[in-house]
Amino acid sequence: MAIALIPFLYVISTALKDTNSLFSYPPDWIPSPIYWGNLRSLLQDQPFVRWTINTLFVSGAVTILKIWFDSAAAYALAKMDFYGKRSLALILLLSVAIPIAALIIPLFFVVRYLGLLNTYWALILPPLANPLGIFMARSFITAIPDSLPASARLDGASEFTIYRKIVLPLIRPGIVVLGMFTFMLQYTSFIWPLIAVQDSSRQVLTVGISSLKSAFLPDWGLLSAAMLLAAVPITLVFLAVQKTFVVNDLSGALRE
Amino acid sequence: MPTGTTPAIEMIQVAKSFGDTEVLQPLSIAVAPGEFMILLGPSGCGKSTILKMIAGLEDLSDGEIYVDGKLVNYVRPKERNVAMVFQNYALYPHMTVRDNIAFPLRQLKRPRLSRSEINQRVLSAAEIVTLSDLLDRRPAQLSGGQRQRVALARAIVRQPAVFLMDEPLSNLDALLRAEMRTSLLEMHNRVGRATVYVTHDQIEAMTMADRIVVLEGGRLQQVGTPHDLYDAPANTFVARFIGSPQMLLLAAEVGPALDVEFEGVRLLPDCTDGLQAGRPATIGLRPTGLRVVDDGSPGHLSGTVRRRDYLGSDCFVEVELDRGRSVQARADPARDRPPGDTVALAIGGEAAHLFDDRGVRVAGLCPVVP
Repeated sequence: MAIALIPFLYVISTALKDTNSLFSYPPDWIPSPIYWGNLRSLLQDQPFVRWTINTLFVSGAVTILKIWFDSAAAYALAKMDFYGKRSLALILLLSVAIPIAALIIPLFFVVRYLGLLNTYWALILPPLANPLGIFMARSFITAIPDSLPASARLDGASEFTIYRKIVLPLIRPGIVVLGMFTFMLQYTSFIWPLIAVQDSSRQVLTVGISSLKSAFLPDWGLLSAAMLLAAVPITLVFLAVQKTFVVNDLSGALRE
Repeated sequence: MPTGTTPAIEMIQVAKSFGDTEVLQPLSIAVAPGEFMILLGPSGCGKSTILKMIAGLEDLSDGEIYVDGKLVNYVRPKERNVAMVFQNYALYPHMTVRDNIAFPLRQLKRPRLSRSEINQRVLSAAEIVTLSDLLDRRPAQLSGGQRQRVALARAIVRQPAVFLMDEPLSNLDALLRAEMRTSLLEMHNRVGRATVYVTHDQIEAMTMADRIVVLEGGRLQQVGTPHDLYDAPANTFVARFIGSPQMLLLAAEVGPALDVEFEGVRLLPDCTDGLQAGRPATIGLRPTGLRVVDDGSPGHLSGTVRRRDYLGSDCFVEVELDRGRSVQARADPARDRPPGDTVALAIGGEAAHLFDDRGVRVAGLCPVVP
């Protein structure tokens, strides 16, 4: 626990120090006096708020769309019968193994061909193709007994109704996990946003923060303040949803 | 389709295979309107598969299924006009009892039901299964029997042509099970629709069914009323599967006079069609038809009591016969028959059956008094 906390505390400490006291020896863990200049400079001189809004917008959009598409695809793979289901699942599974580095150049050409470079779409659409979420969602849906969708089918429900009204509510905790996982992955994604968007007004936090680092004299106080503030939204999101990290609640659905 | 009254369900040469594995051999069954038919057999005999094929949840490999006179082989489950109660209730746990029951009605598109109409039908279905005061609870807040009744109400509310029930009582305790059996039959009589009910419990089948279909290893063994199955089992499988205690099966040989001999007692078949002297055969004895009597007389078996099972209203004793074989027989529960007692056994009229060398029932047997 301490090993995990020390770097984090060091970042907080660094963010609240001026450049002179930053390099004092022995280092002071508790800044005295507290220096707010780094945070002020970040919020006033840099488009930090814009980057945060961009990041939250892109991560939120990717999360919502991925939850929708991945869980729907997972429902089809887990509970529906159709020709080629096994082959499709195998192809999706194999595509998980392709490293992102191998995809970046062809992806860049596709996005450029579509005229989406420097747009939010360039940041939102490509992550949707990652099939990992489908397999996560499938594992939650597989836990639902086949008799529930079968019963709903006999009750006259369409497959979409079964997915929306029976399956989605039952895998809510799993959906939260998938959402949190997707949100964090997107929030911290760096390589693709760096390539896809050069316009500073559309940049996300990871790319924005890296641009604060000059080649010769990094401003560690400013960088630490940026990292500290960048961690706030994701921490709040995590705290908001942590209560729903429980297993699928099927109590009462089946006989015990 | 046959002429006359249209069966609620008719299966014609229906078969099912998974790849090369044949799980159900071609079988034909017709369920009359309002009939309570039970599919009975041990686990893996294909009874649930039949139910799923009628419901449309499983495709047929061969044959035709008609529901209410309409061929449904290629009809989607929701359009077959059948309702199914699943083995594990299959209630929607995030919905209240009211929403569970209303779910099928809310899926109706043409005609779409008004909210008040749905409410009225939900209340009426809940009343049939005595759930009216539990409508706002969730399934997790109900007992096993109450959950089962919610599943029944959800089936009733659609007013389907046919009810399908897949071992609905199999996990309830004995008392609740007996209570639910009565409730189910009351509901069936009230609703008056044909019901196909799957169970592996022969007591459930004998007490509830109008007719029973006995299956084993994907093969139809016999279709008949509980009386037919008990009094004239089609073969040795049905003979052993129906009745408690089980029928005793003993190897024998058809004698020159087309009779069989068992422990010195000659037994004469009531029908000799197809019997051939010298052929191996099987004698079936129902313990319920073997009666312990005080005095032995010609035509009676004799032996020594080895064990006594007192059941209150009934009593069965295990008797070791003079030539060493053991049989179970019914004794007067008021009379004490301690182990070691020498007793005589009278073979009752319906107690003995003769099966040929393929295990098919040929005739009933009567003891010959010399």
